[in-house]
Amino acid sequence: MRSFGSTLAVDNVSFQVYRGELFAFLGPNGAGKTTTINLLTGLLHPDRGEIRYRGERFNPDLLAVKQLIGVVPQHNNLDKELSVAENLRIHGILFGLRGRQLEERIRFCLEFADLLEKSATAAGKLSGGMKRKLVIARALLHQPKILFLDEPTVGLDPHSRRRMWAFLRRINVEQQCTVFLTTHYIEEAESLAQRVMIMDNAKIIAAGSPDELKSCGGDYVLDIYRGTDLDSEFFADRDAALRRLKQLDTVVRIRETTLEDVFLQLTGKRIAGGKGDV
Amino acid sequence: MFNGVRGIYLRETLILRKKLVKTVLASAVSPALFLIAFGYGVGQGAQVNGHDYLLFLLPGLLTMSSMNQSYGIATEINISRFYFKVFEEYLLAPLKRWEIVVAEMFYGVTKGLIPVVIIGIYTLLCGVQLTFGVRFLVALLLHLAIFSLLGLITALLVRNHSDQALMNSFLITPMMFLSGTFFPVEKMPVVIRAVAALSPLTYSTRLIRSTLIGDMAVNNALFPLLAVMVVVLFIVAYRVVNRVQI
Repeated sequence: MRSFGSTLAVDNVSFQVYRGELFAFLGPNGAGKTTTINLLTGLLHPDRGEIRYRGERFNPDLLAVKQLIGVVPQHNNLDKELSVAENLRIHGILFGLRGRQLEERIRFCLEFADLLEKSATAAGKLSGGMKRKLVIARALLHQPKILFLDEPTVGLDPHSRRRMWAFLRRINVEQQCTVFLTTHYIEEAESLAQRVMIMDNAKIIAAGSPDELKSCGGDYVLDIYRGTDLDSEFFADRDAALRRLKQLDTVVRIRETTLEDVFLQLTGKRIAGGKGDV
Repeated sequence: MFNGVRGIYLRETLILRKKLVKTVLASAVSPALFLIAFGYGVGQGAQVNGHDYLLFLLPGLLTMSSMNQSYGIATEINISRFYFKVFEEYLLAPLKRWEIVVAEMFYGVTKGLIPVVIIGIYTLLCGVQLTFGVRFLVALLLHLAIFSLLGLITALLVRNHSDQALMNSFLITPMMFLSGTFFPVEKMPVVIRAVAALSPLTYSTRLIRSTLIGDMAVNNALFPLLAVMVVVLFIVAYRVVNRVQI
């Protein structure tokens, strides 16, 4: 639990993430996702409650636990004057790498992120997508077991976003790294995660695999347009939806349930694709 | 061991290297102007405690300019913390918080040496004879450590850039003018002397000036006084850094 003044940012949140999982934390801006990540990585201290890594209670002084964690913050917190390789080198030294091991890891991460040719370029001169990849490569440099990514694709165009998804899948599979990401893009959670947790107003409101969550309210949705209003009704199967459709004399669309429908059902809010829209 | 100190110091000095020309120019211009205005303007032909005013002024400019550079790390830390968020990297890394204090102190000391070299050159150009000996070096390092730590503390205590600017106005500017840089504090009214007594710059200026001017008596008691200030500020800085969350 964590509050800022009178604002409760994370309220009685309790969950587990399993080794090797690609786990998504979905919710609108202001839901408490970043605060949760900051608590999990030791950047903030909880007012109440505890965090455990591999059963061991975590506090920011546990340096061995910090060694297990890689963090990709929401903003590209790179040293823009420094080159790509220098940004990585400093991170490596902070995490105890040195000499040949450090240089090999830098090379490996640059290759993995397709940034080898940009090694001597100032980080500030990279494109948005490359900067994002560099921040991720930096987080991977010390071979963390758990990678936290806070809104990893914010600000990226659709092409770069898709490429980033593929990159994150590779990290999860090839690096055998548990990936914990927050996002407000529903399709991102749906496409990437094995398990999704939905957060709103500082609370967890649902958790499960995307398929489990989608089947909660029904597999099919009828979108019923009444003038400028849109109502959605949920049905266990297509036949039930079709039976209902026949009773209506207005514009109707039948489709499969999406995570956004689940979110709407649970919160009454719509997460738009755009940044900051709720 | 010391990965934090190495990593942070490397980061800071690499960035300093990229901005070296700007930093050198910034360190050169302001003391040059003070030298012209006070040394060759107002103070031409004046004497202070039996010394030529230029001889009195140059050590003062040296301590003032080096203080500005060392304390100036406050603004850099502030920007890296609130704007670029690079400071988060230090908080996430598996390092002891005292390593952040040591690294930033070393960086502040390094940065503070730049104006020392510049004032050294001015001294040669002005034809003034100063003695750069071991006692000067020790006094200088203590002086730079004090203001680096002060910079780190203020940078971590303030909540935004404008508070940082406010701290500079209320802390650094009065110190610059009331701590014996341009005139001997002893000759000022009692109120000014009382204010000057609170400023660490008063003591470091007095000590550094006396180590630089060959025939001036050095008050050796000021060495342990400055050392105590370093220790106290280090403890305060450590406690502040330890409490820092994003």
